[in-house]
Amino acid sequence: MTFEHVFRLTMSGLTVGMIYALIALGYTMVYGVLEFINFAHGEIFTIGGYIAITTLVWAGVDSDTSAGVLIGYFIMAVAVSVLLTALLGWLVERIAYRPLRGASRIIPLLSAIGVSIFLQNLIILTWGPEAIVVPTAIVPSQVVVMFGVPIRVLALIIIGVSVVLMAILTYIIRSTRIGKAMRATSQDMEAAEMMGIETNRTIAFTFIIGSALAAIGGFLVAMYYGSLKFDTGFLYGLKAFTAAVLGGIGNIPGAVVGSLLLGLVENYGVGMKLGGLAWFFVAGLALGLYTQTIRVPGRRRRHIRDEIRTPAYERRIVNVYRFPIPNALKVALGPRTDALVSVSARHSLRLAAGNLFLAVMAILFFLNHDSQFATMWQHAISFSVLVLVLMFRPSGILGEHIQEKV
Amino acid sequence: MQEKTGVWATARRFFGRVPRWAYALAALALAISVPLLEQADLIQTVWLRLGIRSLVYVLLAMGLNVVMGETGLLNLGYIAFFAVGSYTTAIFSSPRLGYHVDFWILLLASTGLAMLAGLLIGLPTLRLRGDYLAIVTLGFGEITRITFNNWESVTNGPGGIPQIYRPMILGLKIDKPGEFYYLVLIFVVLVAIMLTNLKSSRVGRAWNALREDEIAAEHSGIHGTSLKLLSMVISAGIAGLAGCLFAYYQQFINPTYFEFLQSVLVVCMVVLGGMGSIPGAIAGAALLDALPEFIRQAFSRWLPDLLGEQTMDSLPVAVQNFFIEFDRYRMLIVGLVIVVMVIFRPEGILPDSLWRREVREEDPREVEKTRQKLFDFDEGHQDLEA
Repeated sequence: MTFEHVFRLTMSGLTVGMIYALIALGYTMVYGVLEFINFAHGEIFTIGGYIAITTLVWAGVDSDTSAGVLIGYFIMAVAVSVLLTALLGWLVERIAYRPLRGASRIIPLLSAIGVSIFLQNLIILTWGPEAIVVPTAIVPSQVVVMFGVPIRVLALIIIGVSVVLMAILTYIIRSTRIGKAMRATSQDMEAAEMMGIETNRTIAFTFIIGSALAAIGGFLVAMYYGSLKFDTGFLYGLKAFTAAVLGGIGNIPGAVVGSLLLGLVENYGVGMKLGGLAWFFVAGLALGLYTQTIRVPGRRRRHIRDEIRTPAYERRIVNVYRFPIPNALKVALGPRTDALVSVSARHSLRLAAGNLFLAVMAILFFLNHDSQFATMWQHAISFSVLVLVLMFRPSGILGEHIQEKV
Repeated sequence: MQEKTGVWATARRFFGRVPRWAYALAALALAISVPLLEQADLIQTVWLRLGIRSLVYVLLAMGLNVVMGETGLLNLGYIAFFAVGSYTTAIFSSPRLGYHVDFWILLLASTGLAMLAGLLIGLPTLRLRGDYLAIVTLGFGEITRITFNNWESVTNGPGGIPQIYRPMILGLKIDKPGEFYYLVLIFVVLVAIMLTNLKSSRVGRAWNALREDEIAAEHSGIHGTSLKLLSMVISAGIAGLAGCLFAYYQQFINPTYFEFLQSVLVVCMVVLGGMGSIPGAIAGAALLDALPEFIRQAFSRWLPDLLGEQTMDSLPVAVQNFFIEFDRYRMLIVGLVIVVMVIFRPEGILPDSLWRREVREEDPREVEKTRQKLFDFDEGHQDLEA
């Protein structure tokens, strides 16, 4: 495990992470305002990439085009794609989500799944089920050597463009009128409406910005990997959502932090020898033990105190609908165990299980320290991250920002 | 109340008077008649095979209906439990590892292992908010598929497991499609009866209460987590059962049968039929699985026979292509139908009365109906209503 190897993994992790961030911002902004997962966002991302590439091919760019003209074409393609995709995002919001505002939680999600299926099949019908390949002639193939590691210029461009876009987004949200409206709407929609903010227009604007960012992300992915398929967006969308949850849903800096972290974790996970990875588990174990031994006991004491205050008859009512077996076990163990099992001890049990898992993984990885994590498990890494985050810290690293419900 | 007139209202009243069990019996008679028709050479074997597949989907839709319709937990990785059942059967009843376990043991094992998987997935995740749960189950579903795809030593990876043995039941070898059809049908009927009884039991009512308002339900003494877990486990078990039957019937399985799209398809079936409604789940599954094939067959075979080739040729080419290549448009239309259903008729085609009331809460007619039922209000009490 040399420095060069780690640096290469870091750079590719950052590149992928930046792309995740462009998609995750759309997820997180929509979740912050409407509290629902825009399932169709991944497809919007794919469509953005498809439109940009089609525009480039249609404009007839080839290897003879000079660099300046090429850049002009790129900007044109991105502009076309951003415009059309933003329109699509707005349409989707207008047709499929707006009529459902205020419906029960599960219903807009179902509508979003419907839109996602629809868009995916629209891509198949329009562009065919095979992947479209970006003409290699137009992909910038220069390489820069940094610290003795060859890095593609395109990777640097992706990082740079993403940083610029995020700066623009931050400016919009921090310092413009519509950004202020967005923040107000995401804090409390009803109150914002009473203050004279047109929430419908604000939400539409959120969708438009999210779709535009996703379109640029789609274009960058297509350039970076050289091809795009109809189901690319599904996987990217899921990973970006994972990143958004990891950083704290609804939290815009959180989405970026989560995305970069996820990109790095994925690349380290696949690119490193298992011996190197084991240290991550050791770090996780240390963190878990700290939480379990130092932070939980105080909490547990408080919970038990609260539980004891609950009158016995209420506890008995709660027990009516429980499973007979745990109930019998609890009765056998005595009345106090109710507090232990139902709130705090279960929390500490979960932590203990997580720590055990981390310890076993660390030992396994140290034992097989020379072998490498297979690439085919790459997607499983991000799903596992998602599951673990939601199980142990659903509010993410930087905390979630969602509407306060009365 | 004023009786409505008109064709639609009259028809609705007439069909509303027919008791429920009569519809169930009619559907059962229709289902039983399919292999007999095939035996009499009135329909082709293709339809029988389609029927078996539809019945497996009916099982899946009924199972998902437990967790999604009754309890209101969106499970987007449902096909993972189906995969667990299928792979259990395939591994222990094929030359792959040389086992040949009895049908009944494998049926129990598939159901049990799927239930165990449901328990393991449900235990840590059921405390999450509704839409997070959807994403976590999606993640688990994908992890399951990736595991089956990569675990080459047991599952043979993407190559799949071929040559699954035919089941022997009571010394009878189930071999022909007709026999399989009845086998699956028996299980469908058993599961339907079980779920109908469960729905009106204390547990079923507690599930519905959790779906409608979790906090209120917990305050009336329902232990949310255990009941949610129970519904998750039961629905996983039904998927495992369906997986076992599917593996026996198909004789070959590989990970492409268990992709995310399949989960979504089952979700769509439940939504289309009506959340929380067992007849709805059955109708939704039959509709989504069999209808596209019907349309394709109708346009490539029956309509030309009926109208003659000339009339068919005179149709615009686009229309002809649309119906002949209906498979390509199938999912597109499914997506569209879901969006339209959710917006205009969220209660589904055969709605469950409770769910209907919940999604139509804002609808003035429903409000009026509920009020009539609750307070027996008539006109003239405007001041009280405010």
